[in-house]
Amino acid sequence: MRTARCLMLLLLVSLGSWSAARAQDVVLVANEGVKITEITNADLRAIFTGTKTRFSDGSHAVPVTLKGGPAHEVFLRNYVGEGPEGFRSQWRKVVFTGQGAMPKAFDSESALIDYVAATPGAVGYVSRTSPQDRVKILAAVK
Amino acid sequence: MIMEAPAYDSDQVRDDPRLKELSRRVCLPFLLILICICTSRGSLYAQDFSGIVVHAYVSQGFLYSSTNNYLSMKSSDGSPQWTDAAFNISDSLSDNLRVGIQLHMYQLGEFGGSNVQVDWASGDYRFNDHFGIRAGKVKTVWGLFNDSQDIDAVFLWILLPQGSYSIDHKSFYLAHIGGDVYGAVSLGKRAGTLHYIAYGGQSTIDLNDGYIQTFAELGLQFTNSLGGKTYGADLQWEAPVRGLILGASGNWLAADGTAPAGTFHSPAYLVSSMYGKFSRGKVYLAGEYDRIPINATITIGPTVIPFVQDGRSWFAMGSYQLSKKLQLGSYYSHYVNKVADTTQPVNYSKDFVVSARYDFNAYFYAKVESHFLHGTALGYYADTNPNGLSPDSKMVATKIGFTF
Repeated sequence: MRTARCLMLLLLVSLGSWSAARAQDVVLVANEGVKITEITNADLRAIFTGTKTRFSDGSHAVPVTLKGGPAHEVFLRNYVGEGPEGFRSQWRKVVFTGQGAMPKAFDSESALIDYVAATPGAVGYVSRTSPQDRVKILAAVK
Repeated sequence: MIMEAPAYDSDQVRDDPRLKELSRRVCLPFLLILICICTSRGSLYAQDFSGIVVHAYVSQGFLYSSTNNYLSMKSSDGSPQWTDAAFNISDSLSDNLRVGIQLHMYQLGEFGGSNVQVDWASGDYRFNDHFGIRAGKVKTVWGLFNDSQDIDAVFLWILLPQGSYSIDHKSFYLAHIGGDVYGAVSLGKRAGTLHYIAYGGQSTIDLNDGYIQTFAELGLQFTNSLGGKTYGADLQWEAPVRGLILGASGNWLAADGTAPAGTFHSPAYLVSSMYGKFSRGKVYLAGEYDRIPINATITIGPTVIPFVQDGRSWFAMGSYQLSKKLQLGSYYSHYVNKVADTTQPVNYSKDFVVSARYDFNAYFYAKVESHFLHGTALGYYADTNPNGLSPDSKMVATKIGFTF
C-alpha cells in the first residue's frame, strides 16, 4: 500500500513537471530585419552552439540567450539538446580556445526582447507569455 | 609569441630566489587584476566593455598519492603545487572578423611556474560558415580535447586521460604559431555535417615542460626551448543522430634543439587520433584511440642515444549530470609503449578513474577524483622518486575553481 502511494506520488510529480514544461513552451524571436520566417532545428542548434554564424539566407545571425530560468532550460532541452550546464561548458570551451565569443545573456526576457528588437540579425527565445510585438516570430521546423 | 623563462636549467629555475620573486611579482598582480575585474562589476557573467569581452578562470588543485610522487609533485605527502589561471580579451571588429588574446600561467609541481604565457593570440576571419581563417598563435585541434586540455573549468575530470593528453608534455601539442583554415559543410538533412580544420606552423617545447626534464635525466640540459614545424588536420562528422560526433585527426610534428652539451633531433612524426562522443541532455559518453610514434635521437658528444617511443593509448569515459549542481563520471585510460617490453610497468599505464564535480553556482566549482593507477610509464620523474617506483599507486585529486 505504501509503495503504491509512493508510485502514485511519483507519477503526479512527473505529470506536474511535464505540464510545467509545456506551459513554459518557448517562442523563437528575431530582429524584424531578419528575412527568414522559419528555421530548422539543425540550424538553430548550430547557431546556438557557435558552429554556424549565418541564417539560411546568408545573413549574419547574432544568438542571444537568457541567463537561466524555465524558458532557458526548455529551449536548451528542445532545440540544443543540452542541459544548461552542458551548454555553458560547451561555450566555455569555445571561448577559452579562442574559437568564438559567447552569446550575450540576459537576466530577463524583457531585456532580451529589447536587445533583439534593436540588434540586426539577433535571434533568441522567450516564454510564450512574454510580449513579442517589437520582434519577429520564427517558426522552428524539423 | 611565447614569453619564455630565462635561460636557467631546471634546478636553477626551481631554486633561484630571484625567479621566485619574479613569480610573485608577475603572478600576484595577474591574479589581483583578475579578482578586481570579477568583483568590481555587479554581474559576474562575461564582462562586456562596449563589445570587448573579458573571460577568466583560476583553479587550485591538491594531489595525494598512496606511494609514488606523481607529476613532479611531492604527492605522497600531499601537494597543493597545482595552480592554473587564464585571462582573455576578445573583440568582434566586424561580423566576420574577431581578434583576441589569452594569457595563461600554471604551476604543476616543478613545471610551469613564473612565466605568464600567451596561450593564444589570433585574428579570425570567417568568410562564411564553409570557410574561415585564423592566424597568430592558435590552439592545435586534434582528438577530443587537445585544444581545451588546459581549461579546467570545461571538464568534469581533474586529469584527462594521461595516455592521450599528458599534462606534463602539453606545451608541445597545445598550440602552434601559424594559421588554420576551418569550416563546415552540410551533407544534407539525413547525412549530418562535416566540420574540418587544417593548420600549419611552428610548435615549441617550453623550458618548463616535462620533456625538458626527461632530456635532463638523459644528460641533456636545455637552456633554450626547442621545437619544429607542425601541420595537420581534423575532420569531424556531426551525425544526424543528435549529439553524436565521430572524428579523426592527424598531426605531424618535428622538433630540433641544441643544448650546451648536445642536440636533440626528431624527424616529423604523425600523431593520429580517432574518436567519438555522444552528448545529450545529462548523458555524456566518449572514447578515443591515439598513436604517438617518436623516433628521435639525443646526441651528446660522440654518443647517440635513441629516444624511441610508440605510444598507443585509448580511453572510454562516461558521465551523468545527476542534478543541476552535481555531475558524476568515470573513465578508463590505457597506454602502452609498443616498442618496449609491454609486460614491464615502466612501459604501460592503466588508470581507472572516478570523478565528481559540484558547481556551487555558474562561477564557482569543486571537483574530487580518485585514480587507481597500474604501471609507471606516464607522469613520473626520477628526481621526485629517488628510491624508485612502485608499479601500482592510488591517488586522490581535488580542485576548486572560479570562472566567468
